[in-house]
Amino acid sequence: MNALILSAVWGIILMFCSILVKNKKAIGYIAAFGLLTILIGNIAETYGTQITHYNIYPMLLLDRFGLFFNTIAILSVFIFVLLSLIEIRKTGKYEPEFYTLIFFVICGITILTSYQNLLMLFLGIEILSIPLYILTGSDKKNLKSNEASLKYFLMGAFSTGIMLLGIALIYGGTGTFNLQPGTHSVVGTYHGISFLEITGLIILMCAMAFKASVAPFHFWAPDVYDGAPTPVTSFMATIVKVTAFLAFFKLCEVRVTDTLTAVNWKMIFAVMIVATLFIGNITAIFQQSVKRMLAYSSIAQAGFMMYAIFSLNDVAKEGLLYYAMAYSLATIGLFATMSKIKDYSFEGYNGLAKKQPTLAATNAIFLLSLSGIPLTAGFFAKYYMLASVIKTGSYTWLVIVGVCFATISIYYYFRLIQAMYFKTGNPDTIDHEITPFFKNMLIVVAVFIVLLGAFPQLLLNWFYF
Amino acid sequence: MNALVLCIPLLPFLGFLLVGLLRNKLSRPLIGIIASGVIGIAFILTLVIFFTHYYPANAITYFDFIKNSKYDISFSFQVDQLSTLFMLIITGVGFLIHVYSTSYMHDETPAHYARYFSYLNLFVFSMLLLVLGANYVIMFLGWEGVGICSYLLIGYWFKNNQYNYAARKAFVMNRIGDVGFLLAIFWLLARLGSVDYSIVFSNASALSTTDVTGITILLFVGAIGKSAQIPLYTWLPDAMAGPTPVSALIHAATMVTAGIYMIARSNVLYSLSPVSMDIVAVIGVATALLAASIALFQNDIKKVLAYSTVSQLGFMFVALGVGAYTTGVFHVMTHAFFKALLFLGAGSVIHAMGGEQDITKMGGLRKKIPITYWTFLIAVLAISGFPFTSGFISKDEILLAAYSHSKPLFWLTAFAAVLTAFYMFRVFMLVFLGGFRGNDEQQHHLHESPPAMTIPLIILAILAAIGGFVQLPELFGGHDYFNQFLAPVVPALSHEGENLATKEYALLGGTIVGLIIIFLFCKKWFAVNQFEGKYTGFKNVLAHKWYMDELYDAIIVNPFNNIAGFLKSIVEKSGIDGIVNGVGRFIQYSSRQVRLIQSGLVGNYILIMVLSITVLFMVFWNQDLIIAFLQKIF
Amino acid sequence: MPVSYYIILASALFCIGVAGVLTRRNAIIVFMCIELMLNAVNLLLVAFSKMQNIATPPGSVSVGGSDAQIFVFFIMVVAAAEVSVGLAIIVMMYRNVHSIDINFLNRLKN
Repeated sequence: MNALILSAVWGIILMFCSILVKNKKAIGYIAAFGLLTILIGNIAETYGTQITHYNIYPMLLLDRFGLFFNTIAILSVFIFVLLSLIEIRKTGKYEPEFYTLIFFVICGITILTSYQNLLMLFLGIEILSIPLYILTGSDKKNLKSNEASLKYFLMGAFSTGIMLLGIALIYGGTGTFNLQPGTHSVVGTYHGISFLEITGLIILMCAMAFKASVAPFHFWAPDVYDGAPTPVTSFMATIVKVTAFLAFFKLCEVRVTDTLTAVNWKMIFAVMIVATLFIGNITAIFQQSVKRMLAYSSIAQAGFMMYAIFSLNDVAKEGLLYYAMAYSLATIGLFATMSKIKDYSFEGYNGLAKKQPTLAATNAIFLLSLSGIPLTAGFFAKYYMLASVIKTGSYTWLVIVGVCFATISIYYYFRLIQAMYFKTGNPDTIDHEITPFFKNMLIVVAVFIVLLGAFPQLLLNWFYF
Repeated sequence: MNALVLCIPLLPFLGFLLVGLLRNKLSRPLIGIIASGVIGIAFILTLVIFFTHYYPANAITYFDFIKNSKYDISFSFQVDQLSTLFMLIITGVGFLIHVYSTSYMHDETPAHYARYFSYLNLFVFSMLLLVLGANYVIMFLGWEGVGICSYLLIGYWFKNNQYNYAARKAFVMNRIGDVGFLLAIFWLLARLGSVDYSIVFSNASALSTTDVTGITILLFVGAIGKSAQIPLYTWLPDAMAGPTPVSALIHAATMVTAGIYMIARSNVLYSLSPVSMDIVAVIGVATALLAASIALFQNDIKKVLAYSTVSQLGFMFVALGVGAYTTGVFHVMTHAFFKALLFLGAGSVIHAMGGEQDITKMGGLRKKIPITYWTFLIAVLAISGFPFTSGFISKDEILLAAYSHSKPLFWLTAFAAVLTAFYMFRVFMLVFLGGFRGNDEQQHHLHESPPAMTIPLIILAILAAIGGFVQLPELFGGHDYFNQFLAPVVPALSHEGENLATKEYALLGGTIVGLIIIFLFCKKWFAVNQFEGKYTGFKNVLAHKWYMDELYDAIIVNPFNNIAGFLKSIVEKSGIDGIVNGVGRFIQYSSRQVRLIQSGLVGNYILIMVLSITVLFMVFWNQDLIIAFLQKIF
Repeated sequence: MPVSYYIILASALFCIGVAGVLTRRNAIIVFMCIELMLNAVNLLLVAFSKMQNIATPPGSVSVGGSDAQIFVFFIMVVAAAEVSVGLAIIVMMYRNVHSIDINFLNRLKN
């Protein structure tokens, strides 16, 4: 509850900041401070200190898993904000509103990590999405941003409709909105499960797959990620996406086992995984723009996160947390660097290692992590995902597929490293924005990734402390 | 005391690190002092162990080396009479050769000089590890270590490609043997769950005959590789590409006897398997004969000595094969003395001749290099078995043991011994007697070697002459000191109930008569002023080493190269590369196609989403059918 | 009336909405079709609510099916929020390109 209340409060505070605070530079720091308080509040709650004591069950349940994920997500937002301070300032007079919307998105995140009721799932998803529609279109004069915003909005609204239909049908089948299903009705059943419930679940899963950009519901992702302003893309592709996965995971954790008698979810998920990995990786290969390549790469990474939802065991749970951390940090770092380079194409990165060695070196670590090279966090993230599948004991061919696609992914990640290190060129960087603070932040993130890769237990020990 | 034992191998290792890492900083004398000094100290420490009789019953364990739920292989040393004897040989002879090298290698630049000594120190360290290890795994560590040092030192002059090939050959041949050794270790682990000597030997009787035979044969395969026996002997003559002191230390005195050490160490296992023993004896005598016959007509002084080493190693295996383990080990010791002496003497000759190794170009060096001449003579007498030299006593025992085992074995071994005397006298006559056959420049260059080289020669000559008295037969007033010394570890062959005196007198008489005849013939043929060194007929076959290298090339190397060439040019280039590039091209192609799905039109996107939901439903309602279908396919 | 009638009616409404989304190109009409889908869901929820209400045994403490009706209000509120954001986006696009054709802007593809 701490994080939820604090983020809502800070959202409102920042809204007023646009009137009250004259010093524009201060706003970013106020937001960062706000995030810090939310982070502290959430950690405090993990150790049992709460601001309020409302009885929120059966709507929300703050368990260790959700709280820990909150910490990861808020920490990632914190790092994101610190890396994007200048970038967000460039949005002009709407800077406080930008932060307001981010705080509201954090509200949505905290709801999604703790929901116990489908109503809360719906509200969480909407609170998460609606600010993002606005953020995507925040570059108002840019036609790409407009287009992305419109596409995202239309498809998002459509998927909301789908999701509501699913929830309504589940309600018709079980008579409750609780995540834990009540009694199953005895008439009109298929292998003991109501037809309405099964239909509703499949539709709801499709809507969740849309939010998590899992194929074949991923189509919005490349266009929106490409069109949105870079900091927004960074935010959407990382924190928001892994949150959607967490919500998906929570839903499946309960409902998949419950309806196992009727639906062979493993097969459906397996098809989704293969399709996502295929489309994400294969399409990323041919991209000329780094931003669009990263958009597809985020779809490919979503394919790997789907493994957690496929196997639904303890390893998957740990792995999802680990993956969220590894993936978010690396991608945030990459997008932050990209916003300092004017040309987003691969040629624009040519020779970056000569001009900005720190940026190139940290980016190389991020890319290595994303492609899953050992000694980086990305390796263990992928390892946990594949290990979780092996632990289920069936569908081991999925592991082989995963490894194959991970190999393919090396192609496009290393292409960027190649451009930075082995090609000559004069990248058009915005030098006055590459402050020592920015560089140091990148180094901290890179070191963190390597540390996580060398000592994977650091993160998980804390989870189980 | 345990720390002291650990110091013995650690000192050469420290020397290796010091000399190797500071090779560009240290001056030449300092390098020599450090490298020889550590070996000298190690020798003194070994002497301390020898004189205090520090032979703990249990292995000294230092730390766990490999430990898991099934195996516990510790890093431990076994200090007993056998390992102490080998340590004495390694550090003692090693020290002399280090001292000799300081002078022999003086033409090298300081950095290369340091490289040479660091390798040499590393070799001593590995060899000590090999003999000190209290289980087969530690022995294997040392075994591999000496292999790599041998490789590095054979190819020491790495700018000569021929030498590099020789180094590679030695390495590959050794690896073939190592496979056998490794398999034996695995077999032991699988059957007994341990490789510690104490556990293996006390439980050996529990092994089935098949296991024992298999293990011992595989161990012997390892020994064949390391100790250059048929069929893996061809690397040793080529190994003469290395500097001569290296040949003396590694390829005569110590490393090549590792196989003997291993079998002597495993005598408990071998005694359980008569089949393996016979194989060892047969391979030994065959190698002794073959190598001796080849040595008859070689013109390169070091090649003769190399084949002589192979042949002598064959003698040792004969001794082991007939169960006279102590005799084999004894011959290792005497051989270390006289063969090291021969090599160092040869080195001195080569040094005097300014790098010339061809004996047809030498002759009449007796007056020019007297110390070398006298020490070499002693060595020749010792290896030929001149009565009461060390070689006589050890070879005598081998022959006696062979005689009591089987008569044909005895005669073959005796014949090999005759050949030994013959080729050694031939070399001796060609080098030191007759007239000088080299060119004027060489004649001008002739000089006696400096003291750093001659003193080791003299010390070794004394040892070669009288070193055998520790095992003087009782008939001549000896007391079997050597056998008694080793008795706690290695049993001696018992000659009870045999009429030893007659046989020994017969051998003594036969040896003297034989040597005189050989000497006279050799003097007539080889102590001459002109010697062509061209052979025809059977002699030519021998001079070409029975065409063994050519045979190996034809039946193993060339087919192998051809297959490799085929794999490289056909399978690799068009097959594997084709597949790999094809996959890459296919992915790029599909990438270009797949991205077209992303049409940019919201309507299309939503249509595909709706269609996929519909498809999901169709799949869902027919899932039983689909699963049944899939199960049929897979 | 059996609940299945309501289900069929709601499904029909929903399908009309989906068909409208798929066929129309005017952003406002597409958006209205999405609203139609949401309203179909509302109808469905109300029908299920009544069904649950009937299924609850008389005299029990809670009034069965009331949560679905509350859900309907939430949907309405969220839909209103979405409308406000959506119309703003459409207006923003119209200002820039003077068109509200959803296929007019098509730079982001492949």
